[in-house]
Amino acid sequence: MAAASLPAWRRLQPGARTLRAFSTAASPTTLPGNPRPSTTERTSRFDRPPRRKALPPRTEKMAVDQDWPSVYPVAAPFKPSAVPLPVRMGYPVKMGVPMAKEGNLELLKIPNFLHLTPVAIKKHCEALKDFCTEWPAALDSDEKCEKHFPIEIDTADYVSAGPSIRNPKARVVTLRVKLSSLNLDDHAKKKLIKLVGERYCKTTDVLTIKTDRCPLKRQNYDYAMYLLTVLYHESWKTEDWEKNKTEADMEEYIWTNSSSEKNILETLLQIKAAEKNLEVTKEELLGTKEIEDYKKCVVSLKNEGDSENTLSQYKDSVKRLLNLT
Amino acid sequence: MLKGVTRLVSRVHKLDPGHFLRLGTQAPQSLAAHLDNQVSFESPRAISCTSENDPAKHEEKHEGQHYNLPLQDMKTIFPHGLPPRYAMQMKTFNEACLMVRKPALELLHYLKNTNFAHPAVRYVLYGEKGTGKTLSLCHIIHFCAKQDWLILHIPDAHLWVKDCRDLLQSSYNKQRFDQPLEASVWLKNFKTTNERFLNQIKIQEKYVWNKRESIEKGSSLGEVVEQGITRVRNATDAVGIVLKELKRQSSLGIFHLLVAVDGVNALWGRTTLKREDKSPIAAEELALIHNLRKMVKNDWNGGAIVMTLSQTGSLFKPRKAYLPQELLGKEGFDALDPFIPILVGNYNPKEFESCIQYYLENSWLQHEKAHTEEGKKELLFLSNGNPGQLERLCAYL
Repeated sequence: MAAASLPAWRRLQPGARTLRAFSTAASPTTLPGNPRPSTTERTSRFDRPPRRKALPPRTEKMAVDQDWPSVYPVAAPFKPSAVPLPVRMGYPVKMGVPMAKEGNLELLKIPNFLHLTPVAIKKHCEALKDFCTEWPAALDSDEKCEKHFPIEIDTADYVSAGPSIRNPKARVVTLRVKLSSLNLDDHAKKKLIKLVGERYCKTTDVLTIKTDRCPLKRQNYDYAMYLLTVLYHESWKTEDWEKNKTEADMEEYIWTNSSSEKNILETLLQIKAAEKNLEVTKEELLGTKEIEDYKKCVVSLKNEGDSENTLSQYKDSVKRLLNLT
Repeated sequence: MLKGVTRLVSRVHKLDPGHFLRLGTQAPQSLAAHLDNQVSFESPRAISCTSENDPAKHEEKHEGQHYNLPLQDMKTIFPHGLPPRYAMQMKTFNEACLMVRKPALELLHYLKNTNFAHPAVRYVLYGEKGTGKTLSLCHIIHFCAKQDWLILHIPDAHLWVKDCRDLLQSSYNKQRFDQPLEASVWLKNFKTTNERFLNQIKIQEKYVWNKRESIEKGSSLGEVVEQGITRVRNATDAVGIVLKELKRQSSLGIFHLLVAVDGVNALWGRTTLKREDKSPIAAEELALIHNLRKMVKNDWNGGAIVMTLSQTGSLFKPRKAYLPQELLGKEGFDALDPFIPILVGNYNPKEFESCIQYYLENSWLQHEKAHTEEGKKELLFLSNGNPGQLERLCAYL
């Protein structure tokens, strides 16, 4: 509505006072770029009923402490006349500013959550409280929850108005469990991680199993529990072919029987031979403090990668081993 | 010509940047030499240069200062070892000056205290691109040459794994490949460096080249090298023999052996060479690489092995990679373990100042603002103290 934009124009102009006046007394002809003759002055050929003037936007009548959830009770498109915020959106022209909210298609296109303010959500929660039971008082910390209920199941229910109450997305079941709460030894843990592959997160130590291959939620839940059971039992078993695990399969670097150990032992034996100290045996050499230190440095270098810290530690340990100053 | 030179000299003293740049390449060399004499009278080069020209006597107090290498030595010790930009700078300034820096001093300290009865210690110089690894290696080589060690210098191992025109199947071992050109070039340079040792060292085994030619036990290494240079087909095998004999004999204590390899990560990387049926060749199938790998193993004594890792020229490695494990890979690290990694970093403020002074004294920086504090700060910011980057920037000024 043109008249509705009049006050907006005035607000834009610096120093212009917002007028409540939408009466024709404030002649629109004085505004630049908006030359519209008022209907009362023009003599039209046929009597047109006078055009209804546009009402002021609802935002002007809004109090600051109004009940917002009643303005936007459900998900609704963005109504510039109902939202009292001076929002701007759009790419500005040169030496300009982003477009205002009136008639702004960009603000209409994007999803808005004006119906989900914290106040509204509190109201929803209050309404839902009647359908809920109380949280058990004994479970007052995260650790207790984890200790007593290590497995977490996530399901989603969908409600919508439509011809059918079914929603195919409702059958997805996600099972989350921390491996530290399962009884696994070193070999079982490594085997389990190899079996599940992508489903295990190393940083949070959480195994996530998402199932949706069965038509019903209950069936998917049973399947997820079955998978967990099978994984647990299988990882405890050791097959014959696991003996053939090569160095490339190892998850982390193990120093014993590695080429690094061989190299260092050879080097040290040669040094000892040069010093005519042939009584030293391999086991003795392995037990010395320098070798322990060297072993730690090499393992950290291989497992954590290069960094200034690890490299300088490695350098120091090699210097000590080879007796360089 | 002389009038022109004097006019130019007076112009340059007024720091006129445009004119200097318009000169041809002939003038700067003589100009630089002329200016050198002038400058050495006017301002003592105490800040950036030291008069201590023997690397053996370099110590921490010389850190950051340039020392002069005699040009005659450069020809014998480094027939093939210098980075190309440094060689250009040497030609322009008509002198070779190298900065004494901490990593090199550290290495010199270790080398001076080497125990020749123990197996050879491996030192790996690593660092980001352009920080001065190759020149530090050259410093070490100069030291060892002065101490009369035998220098086995492979200037860039990457050259041996890429762009090889003629690959022959090795006569010694059918699975391997020979590279006659690269091998013969290297043998020529090796001969230039170690002329005096070649006649002293005698080989201890008989090697048969083919049905008609063989080399007897007890003949000198020089003959093997000659054979390799003249008969290009056998050059790779000649290189193999040289390496084997040197390794065996350095343990006897007749000489000290320095194995200096630049770009050692090429030995365990991929190659771009292909067989006739376009299948790729692995690095160990090249005879030169195979022999070199045996050389950098520490099962011999009587010397030291100094290596640099280099991303420049490396194949299939990202540009930002500079850490040992990234460039060497698992295989390379396991082969070189245990080694001493030495980090070569960017210039610290003292070294940077010294480098700028050196350029100013050689009148390399012609810009008016080059000697002001702001100019220096700007150069420091632009190059981040990286020696290679600084050199490239100053080339424009």
